[in-house]
Amino acid sequence: MAKNKVKYGQEENVVAGAHMVRHVHTFDVILFILLTLFALVIVYPFYNTILVSIVPQADYTRQPFMLIPKRVTWENYKFVFESPLLLRSMLNSVVLAVVGTIYNMVLTVLLAYTFTKRDLPGRNIFRFILVFTMYFGGGLVPTYLLYKALGLVGNWWVLVLPTGVSITYMLIISSNMSELPAEIEESAKMDGANDIQILFKIVLPLIKPILATFTIYYAVERWNEWYSAMLYLKDNKLWPLQMALRQIISSATSISTVAMTGETRPPIYGEGIKMACIVVTVFPLMALYPFLQRYFLTGLTLGAVKG
Amino acid sequence: MGNFDLEAIQKAQKAKNRKSIIKRIWRYKWIYLFMLLPGLAVIIIFRYLPLPGIALAWKKFTPTFGAKGLYSYLASSKPVGWKHFESLWREKAFWNATKNTFMISILKLVFGFPFPVILAILINEMTMKRYKKVMQTIYTFPHFLSWVVVAGMVLNLFGDTGVVKSVVSKFNPDAVANWNFLYNSRSFRPLLIISDIWKEGGWGTILYLAAIAGVDPSLHEAAIVDGANRFQRIVHITLPEITSLIIIMLILQIGNMMNANFDQIFNLYSAPVFDVGDVIDTYIYRITFQSSTAMDYGFSTAVGLFKNVINFVLLIGANQIAKLFGHDGIM
Repeated sequence: MAKNKVKYGQEENVVAGAHMVRHVHTFDVILFILLTLFALVIVYPFYNTILVSIVPQADYTRQPFMLIPKRVTWENYKFVFESPLLLRSMLNSVVLAVVGTIYNMVLTVLLAYTFTKRDLPGRNIFRFILVFTMYFGGGLVPTYLLYKALGLVGNWWVLVLPTGVSITYMLIISSNMSELPAEIEESAKMDGANDIQILFKIVLPLIKPILATFTIYYAVERWNEWYSAMLYLKDNKLWPLQMALRQIISSATSISTVAMTGETRPPIYGEGIKMACIVVTVFPLMALYPFLQRYFLTGLTLGAVKG
Repeated sequence: MGNFDLEAIQKAQKAKNRKSIIKRIWRYKWIYLFMLLPGLAVIIIFRYLPLPGIALAWKKFTPTFGAKGLYSYLASSKPVGWKHFESLWREKAFWNATKNTFMISILKLVFGFPFPVILAILINEMTMKRYKKVMQTIYTFPHFLSWVVVAGMVLNLFGDTGVVKSVVSKFNPDAVANWNFLYNSRSFRPLLIISDIWKEGGWGTILYLAAIAGVDPSLHEAAIVDGANRFQRIVHITLPEITSLIIIMLILQIGNMMNANFDQIFNLYSAPVFDVGDVIDTYIYRITFQSSTAMDYGFSTAVGLFKNVINFVLLIGANQIAKLFGHDGIM
């Protein structure tokens, strides 16, 4: 096989370029198969999840592996959209994503602009204070007890306030702001603009794509929130969607263990309902992803630009 | 002229500097107040105020957890010296979790790390542009899902009613008699690695693809003239051009060893696989919030401190080494 590849490869190079389109080489075929295979591996679990959520439980139990469903039912989705827990948590998540993202972005952008001022007294000390938190933290118990002292345990705002600023995002945005030509800012200053005006009227409009990227990242993080809810919020009325989903998934798994020990059964969530919950949770992301992909994918490389 | 007072001049200079610093601070007063302060305050409140709580690692601390706030506990609990660290040393579950943390990180390094490198090279070799873009959309999407969602799908696929069991039973009915793929010490770590590659493997390609895209095309042209085939060009041009990035990523991942992905493991594991799947973070969570016996929270603070100190050293060390290879420190 390897030999073949080399032979075809050399042949290609004799008339480099022009006939690449015309001839399909073994190497290209293998490449195509490998890449498609991996894509199928990624896609299949989603497809399976959707199928399980729309076929009747009986069909699924009889034959878990399906490619095309014989019968379709919307019962699971009816359950999801009639469940007070899920509806409330959906609303919670939407509010959290909006409020949290605005809060994160405002703090991040303000800090980022601060660090573009190279002669700001104490700049390095402040930078150190922020960067240090990326490497060291208090740990679970001290953090929990502090939040308790701050009145955040059992308080919905625990999902928002501590998230604050991602130092990484802040530094990337800051370095992108610094790369803007200094003359723009200077001429604005000549015209009598203050720093707040310069930031919002001049700097931010110039880095819109970068802001879009990190707005999306923050929104996804808030949408995916469950850990803080698990630690600090006992009351399921305050839960975001991911936490409610987690509860439904794990309580359904525990049915088998509970049944074994013979205790009373918790509410039964069938696989269909679990998968319907997952589809509902993933849907907003999946619907937006292809259109916003450009922004989703640039974040990492933005950080790498500065050499 | 000769006997001017050097000291007086220096003093004057210093006073001037001080004045100019005050002037500079004054000039930036709105920046300090409206731009620096909000973010800094949030970081100090939520990241620095918990730090004194580390002292609980040297204190006896058993009351009902979370009844009062951090600082009242700090004031009221009695010091016990290094007792918690000594019992930590003897605690089997702790060593099991430490061992698992390193084992899982190493396995992810060995199997998970090369995957995006290879995938990036393959994607780059793809000549059909449209198709390539569709593939990339698919590969990178799972990165943005939470582990709650991914674990939900994994538990369904590999669970008792799942597709994997039903397909395996077609080929080997005996193998599914006692189906416990999710609750088996032998299959749990492979499950972690595979699901990790499934979720992050495509996302990991982005930096490599950006680096490959930056390779000077004239290198390839020259190699083609010299008669190098595609495979030779991958080995002699593409790979060397991204080697420094590969090294940096490798070092950074090694530096992150202590974080064996709480989210993933916590959403997938169960009591039967604690022996191979329990890591330090999940261990701390369990002894703090799910312990059946009365717990000394000073002990769980001590475990957390142990982890954070090692983590700190590894991260700083990795960052310093990565800098030698041209890493800029923010990523």
